[in-house]
Amino acid sequence: MAAAAPMLSVSDLRVSIDAGSGRWMLVDGVSLQVGAGEVLGLVGESGSGKSLTLRSIVRLLRPPLQVAGEVHWRGVNLLELPESRLNAIRGREIAVIFQEPMTALNPVLTVGEQIRESLRAHSGLDGPAIRKRAIELLDRVGIPAARARVDDYPHQFSGGMRQRAMIAIALAAEPKLLLADEPTTALDVTIQDQILKLILRLKAELGMSVVLVTHDLGVIAQTCDRVAVMYAGRIVEQAQVAQLLREPRHAYTRGLLDSVPLAGRARRPLRPIAGAPPAPGDRPPGCSFAPRCGYATESCRRAPPPLIEIGRAHLSACLHHARLAAEAGPS
Amino acid sequence: MSVLAEKVVHRRWLRLPGSLVIGLLLLGLFLAAAAAPGWIAPYDPLAFDMSAILKPPSALHPFGTDNFGRDILSRLIWAARIDLAIAVFTTAFPVVFGTIVGAFVGYYGGWLDMLFGRVVDLVVTFPFLVIVITIVSVLGPGLLDMCIAVSVVGWVFYARLMRAEVLTQKQADYAAAGHVLGYGELRIIFRHLLPNCIGSIIVYWMTDMALGILLGSSLGYLGLGAQPPTAEWGVLVADGKNFLNTGWWISFFPGIAIVLTGLGFSLLGDGVADRLRRGR
Repeated sequence: MAAAAPMLSVSDLRVSIDAGSGRWMLVDGVSLQVGAGEVLGLVGESGSGKSLTLRSIVRLLRPPLQVAGEVHWRGVNLLELPESRLNAIRGREIAVIFQEPMTALNPVLTVGEQIRESLRAHSGLDGPAIRKRAIELLDRVGIPAARARVDDYPHQFSGGMRQRAMIAIALAAEPKLLLADEPTTALDVTIQDQILKLILRLKAELGMSVVLVTHDLGVIAQTCDRVAVMYAGRIVEQAQVAQLLREPRHAYTRGLLDSVPLAGRARRPLRPIAGAPPAPGDRPPGCSFAPRCGYATESCRRAPPPLIEIGRAHLSACLHHARLAAEAGPS
Repeated sequence: MSVLAEKVVHRRWLRLPGSLVIGLLLLGLFLAAAAAPGWIAPYDPLAFDMSAILKPPSALHPFGTDNFGRDILSRLIWAARIDLAIAVFTTAFPVVFGTIVGAFVGYYGGWLDMLFGRVVDLVVTFPFLVIVITIVSVLGPGLLDMCIAVSVVGWVFYARLMRAEVLTQKQADYAAAGHVLGYGELRIIFRHLLPNCIGSIIVYWMTDMALGILLGSSLGYLGLGAQPPTAEWGVLVADGKNFLNTGWWISFFPGIAIVLTGLGFSLLGDGVADRLRRGR
């Protein structure tokens, strides 16, 4: 992975909202890098800020949400770019696919029309060539009988096919970065697997980087090179996938892994994490996870622990990472 | 094979909502009258006939005659043209302008929305008819002035509806998808959001045309719309108001025409709404 300069570099990203009684930090100082051809997973519970992080990269957030920090894409800070130049990057260099393929496709335009619109905006193709290319794209994402289906409306497609069509639209311009916001959550498991494989295949073919947001550790294990775990608006741990799954160094990650069955691990009772994440207006002064954490000590509750490098390319924001490492026994 | 085809056609007819069919039939009747009144009407609508004053309905004059001996049926048929024109021209500007304003207000929000909110308050606090009458009395009575008066006020309701629709639609992921595909905002508003919002506008437009006819008739009745001797349904009803004891038919039949046209538009609107809902 990234020995060269990263394609995408997010630093100290903050998303906040004015809640009347004060400012709620929904995303609080997130920094991450994505190298060329790399797949970064962003995992966390609902409300952990993972989707907000993803959406603020392409400036999809509108007031009252406020975004601060820096998002560098190939050396350009996207957060300060004028709208017109941003539009030249969106779609052409950076593409996004969404969770709900039903609502992410415009219901009143045919699938082909939507692909052609994207092509017309970004590829400089024209006339019959554009139609041919649209069919090619549908074919490429695995829609059977693409020539016949290109004039269908989204409601005539099944969920998995809609997500494929969504991917075809997003990839019409052969972008360099794909942001995927829970692309498989709305699909059933077999389709999920097909879509993930499709994304990986296209990633290899087009040489894209991918940021994949999900709450599903299984998806992470299957697809990602590197993973960042988010909790209550912060990144709490970041590492290579295999490393993180084998040796979690944050109490929260550990809790997550203990709460789900993972293939290739000895069977044992699942242990849920007690309690619920704190509401954004109600976060404790120290580590946000402390109230639910079995390892928490006085120093955890005093100030938020910084995200520090504790091993090779392994970052953790847990004061007790050494204890976790020592405990990590034979599992 | 042909039996099968027939069945399919038959089914398709059945699948059309009844209200749509009845609405279309009613409006078709009035449209025909409006398109070629000279062919259908048995008499000249303005010709006096002193030998047939205030005659009740008969074979010669199916809907009777008025106090100048004019044939009510013929006047009614000629008036269809005026009243349908009123329906279209009182609503044409509001539909187009209101939809566009509503789309912008809904999409951009902020101070534009604040401003729009005040305009809506301003219009809604006055009863519709009262503002229209005020404007007409300033501009002077007549059909054109009436259309202007109604348009000045009427667009607000379309804009309000459109704003609400755009507010919900712009949250949809396909709007976000449009942004991340690098599409301009105008393209997102007019190509992606508008077609998804236009259904309720069309439905409202249909009922609004019915209201437009009622309004035109009311103003005609009050002497602020079409001016006599032009035949207009409201004017016709007003013509008969002094003869209700002796010649009920003068006011009765134009009144029925107003009701039926209004019903036609309403049913059509209903039917269209039904179709749109099923299409989803």
